[in-house]
Amino acid sequence: MSYKAAKIGVTGLVLATVFGILLYTTLGESMQYYKYVDEVADSPEAWTGKKLQVHGYVVPGSIGRKRDRQEYRFDIQRNGKTVRAYFTGAPPDNFKDEAEVVLTGQFTSEGFVATDMTAKCPSKYDEAKVPVTR
Amino acid sequence: MAALGYYLLLAAFVVCAYAAAISVAGARRRSRPLLESGVGAFYLVAAIMTTASSLIIHAFVTGDYSVRYVQQTSDSTLPLFYKITSYWGGLDGSIMFWVFLLSLFGGAAVYFNRERHRELVPYIVAVISVIQMFFLYLMIVHNNPFQTFLTENPTEGTGLSPLLQNFYMVIHPPTMYLGFVGLTIPYAFGMAALITGHLDDSWLRAVRRWTMIAWLFLSVGLGLGMIWAYEELGWGGYWMWDPVENAGLLPWFTATAFLHSVMVQERRGMLKVWNIVLVITTFFLTIFQTFMTRSGIVQSVHAFGQDPELARMFIMFMVTLVVVSFGFLIYRLPLLRSRNEFDSWLSREAAFLFNNWILVFSAFFVLFATMFPTLSHAVTGERITVGPPFFNQWMIPIGLTMLVLTGIGPLLAWRKSTVLNLRDQFLFPTLAGLAVGGTVVALGVRVWSSGICFGFSGLVMGTIAQEFWRGARVRQQTTGTDLFTALVGLVGRNKRRYGGYLIHVAIVLMFLGFAGAGFKQKQIVEATPGQEIEIGDFIVRFDGLKVTDDARKQMVTGEMTIFRNGAELTRMYPARWYFHRRESEPTTEVAIRRSFAEDLYLVMSDFDLSRQQASIEVHLNPLVNWLWFGFGMLAFGTFVALLPDRAFAFADAKVPAHAATASMLLLAVVLWPAAVLAQDAAPRVRFTALEEQVRGEVMCTCGCRRSLTFCGMANCHGEAEQMARLREYISQGKSHNQVIAAFVNDMGAEILMSPPDSGFNRLAWLLPYVLGAAGLVTIVMTARRWSRPAIAGAGGADATLDPALDARLDDELRDLD
Repeated sequence: MSYKAAKIGVTGLVLATVFGILLYTTLGESMQYYKYVDEVADSPEAWTGKKLQVHGYVVPGSIGRKRDRQEYRFDIQRNGKTVRAYFTGAPPDNFKDEAEVVLTGQFTSEGFVATDMTAKCPSKYDEAKVPVTR
Repeated sequence: MAALGYYLLLAAFVVCAYAAAISVAGARRRSRPLLESGVGAFYLVAAIMTTASSLIIHAFVTGDYSVRYVQQTSDSTLPLFYKITSYWGGLDGSIMFWVFLLSLFGGAAVYFNRERHRELVPYIVAVISVIQMFFLYLMIVHNNPFQTFLTENPTEGTGLSPLLQNFYMVIHPPTMYLGFVGLTIPYAFGMAALITGHLDDSWLRAVRRWTMIAWLFLSVGLGLGMIWAYEELGWGGYWMWDPVENAGLLPWFTATAFLHSVMVQERRGMLKVWNIVLVITTFFLTIFQTFMTRSGIVQSVHAFGQDPELARMFIMFMVTLVVVSFGFLIYRLPLLRSRNEFDSWLSREAAFLFNNWILVFSAFFVLFATMFPTLSHAVTGERITVGPPFFNQWMIPIGLTMLVLTGIGPLLAWRKSTVLNLRDQFLFPTLAGLAVGGTVVALGVRVWSSGICFGFSGLVMGTIAQEFWRGARVRQQTTGTDLFTALVGLVGRNKRRYGGYLIHVAIVLMFLGFAGAGFKQKQIVEATPGQEIEIGDFIVRFDGLKVTDDARKQMVTGEMTIFRNGAELTRMYPARWYFHRRESEPTTEVAIRRSFAEDLYLVMSDFDLSRQQASIEVHLNPLVNWLWFGFGMLAFGTFVALLPDRAFAFADAKVPAHAATASMLLLAVVLWPAAVLAQDAAPRVRFTALEEQVRGEVMCTCGCRRSLTFCGMANCHGEAEQMARLREYISQGKSHNQVIAAFVNDMGAEILMSPPDSGFNRLAWLLPYVLGAAGLVTIVMTARRWSRPAIAGAGGADATLDPALDARLDDELRDLD
C-alpha cells in the first residue's frame, strides 16, 4: 500500500512540477495586464512598451474616423479619467458612444494604440440589478 | 397573474422541502407510505413548475409589461417565436427554466428507476429536491422572474437585442441547460449510492444513459453556440476562448472523461473512487460555470453582469456541495476498493487512464487560464489576462494527444497487450496514418500542427475501419450471414461500443475543421464599386450598395460578384441591418458561400452611402464545414449508443434465413421514412409543382433571408406579397425560367436564393441520386449473397483470419454491454 502510494505520489509530483514549469514559462509570453482606464490614465509613460488591456467607456462624441480608412480615434473614460485611443480595423458592431470596450494594445506618446477591440456583449442578460421593489 | 406565479414558486420551495425530508425519513424508517408520499411530492414539483412556466410564457405572449422581467426582455413587435423563447432570455427566467427542466428530468429519472433501484430512489429525490430548493430560494429572495413594478406600469417592453434575434441563439441556451441539468441526475445517483452504501456498479449502469443524453445536449449546445458565433458575430471564427465559452466547455471535459472511465469500472472493477470524483466534479462545474459567468468574478466584456449578492449565495452553495459530497466520499472509501490491480501500461485500462488524465487536465487548464485574471488579482494585486494565443499554445498539443489516443486506445487489449497482437492491431492504422500524413507532406503543407492533425486523423480512421471490418468478419463467420447483416448485427450487439466509434469518427471530422483553421486567409479592403479582391482561387468584385427597408429594419446591402478561374460563380450579399428603435446597434449580416473544401465568408463592416464605398472583410475558411458535420455525426453516434436493446433484435438472429429477413427489415426501416413522407405529402399539397419549385428559389422579402418555402417568420408579409406575384406570372403562362427571369427583372437579382447552378448546389442535387444508386448496389450485393450457398461463405476466404484474434474479439463482444 505505502509503496503504491509513494509511486503514485512521486509520479503526481513530477508531472505537477513539469506542468507547473511549462505553464510558468509559457505564461510569460502571453500575459497582458488588465487595467481600467482610471488606473492607467495618470501615468501612461509607466506602461509604454508593455502589452496591456484597457477597460473603459467610449466618451460620447469623441469617435472620429479618417476618410477612406478604417482608422478610428476616440477617447475612453472611467470615473472621470480619460485616455485617447487609436484603433485600426473593423470595430465591433456595438462600438458607439458610451459603449463599454476593452482595448488590447500599447501606450505610445500619442495615446493608446489598440490592435484589438471587444465591446460589451449587448446581452439580453441583466446588466445591472435594480433595487427589489417587491 | 404575477402574484400567482410568485406563490407557485413559494409552493414549489415548500413541496421540495417536504419531498426531501419525507423521503429521507421514509428510507430510514423503511416506511413505504412515507416513501411514496415523497415521490408524489417530487412529481408535484414538476407540475408546479410547469404551471409557473406557462404563466410566464402567457405574460410574454400577452405582453404583460407590468412584470419587470417581461418588460426587460421583450417588446410588442417581437415575433411570437422570440416572445415565447424570451422565457430563458434573462437571468431570472433562466434560473426558473433550469428548475423546470430539473424537475422534469428528475421526475423522469425517478419514474424509470423506481423499481430497479428502489433503495436509491428516496435519496435521489432528496438530493435533487435540495438542489431545486437552492435555485428556488435564489428566485424567491433575489431573482424573482414574476417581480412587478411598484409604481406605474410601462406599456411597452425594452425589447430584445437584435444580435440575439437569431434562431441558433434561441435554441443554444436551452440545449446547454438540458446538458447541465442532465448532469445533475448522475450526481444525484452517485450521492444516493454514497449515502446508502449501495456502491456496487448498479448505480453506474443506471446513470450511463443519463450521462450520455446530457453529454449529447452539452455537445450539441456547444456546437450551436459556435455556429451562432460564426454566422452572427462576423469575425470569421467560431471560438475565441472567451470566459463564457470556456464555462460551457469545463463540464464537457469531465463528463467525457466519466463516459470513458465508467467502462473501466464496469469491465475491471477499477477506478471506483475516481468515477465518483468525476461525477461530483462535473456537477460542481455546471454550478461553477453559472457562478463564473453571472457573478462578475471573471472580468470579461462577455460575462453577463456583476452581482455580489448572487456570488455570495453561489459560493455558499458550492462550498456546501464540495464539503458534503467529498465528506460522504471519504466516509465511504472503505467500500470503494478496487477489485483488480493495474496490470500493464500497454493495456486498454492504461489508455483510458491517459484519456482521463488529458481530459481532466484540459478542464483544469481551461479553468486556470480563464480564472487567471482573478487569481493574479488575488495574489499580486495586478489583474493580468492571458489571451487566445496562450490557450492555443496549450490546447493544440493537448488536442493532438487526445486525437492520437483516440486511435491507439481501441487497439490495446484489456489487461495486457502482447507484442504479437500489438503488431497485428497497429499495422493497418499506422499505415493509414502514414499514408495520409505522407500525402499531406507531399502536397506541401505549411502548418505543422495541421499536418500532424491530418496524419493522426488517418490513424484514427484506420483504427475505426479495422474495428468495424474485423468485428463484422468475425460475426459473419459465427452467424454465417452476409457482411452487411453481420455489420448491423455487430453494431446491434454492442451499440455502446460501436456508437462510441461513430463518435470517434465525429471527433476526427471536427479535428479536420480545426486543422483547416491553420490555413485560413483574410483580407480587409476599403472598396469602391468595381474593385476586385483576390483571395485563394476567388476574385470578389464589389458592385455597389443598396438600401432597402421592411417593417422592422433598414438594410444596407453590399452587392458582390464572385469569380473563380475567370468565370462568374455566384453573387453574395453581406449587409448591415438597422432595427427600428435600435438604430444604434446595427447587426452585421455575413454572407457565406459554403462548400466542402472551404467557406468564402464576406463581411461588410462599414460603408459610406454617399460615395458608394464599403469596408469589406473577405475570409477564406478551409474545411470549416467538417466541424458542423462532426457535430451531426456526434449526435448520430450518441443516438446509436442510446438505442434501446430491442431496436436491433431482428438483426441478432443466428440463422441465415432469419438474417435475410433482418436485412430486408433493415432496408424497410431505412426506406420507411420515405414511404411515410410520400403518403404524407399527398394531402398537404398547397402549391403546384412549379410554384413549389420557384418558392424554393426565391427569397422572402420579409427580411428573414430564407426562401419562401422556409420563411419561418410569424405574420410574414413578404411571402404573401411574393406569392401573389408568382401566381400572376404563372397565370400569364410563363415557364419556370421565365418566371425566375421576371422575378429578377422586377425585384433585382438578390431576390434569388442563389444562382441555380453553383457548384455546391450541383452537389446537393447529386446527393440523392448517389444515395439511391448506393442503395441499389447494396440491394444487388445482398441479394447475391443470399442466393449463394451458405457453406461457401463460412469455409473459404475467412480461414485466413487469426483464430486467436477471433476468440478475443468474440470474448469481448460477449462481455461488453
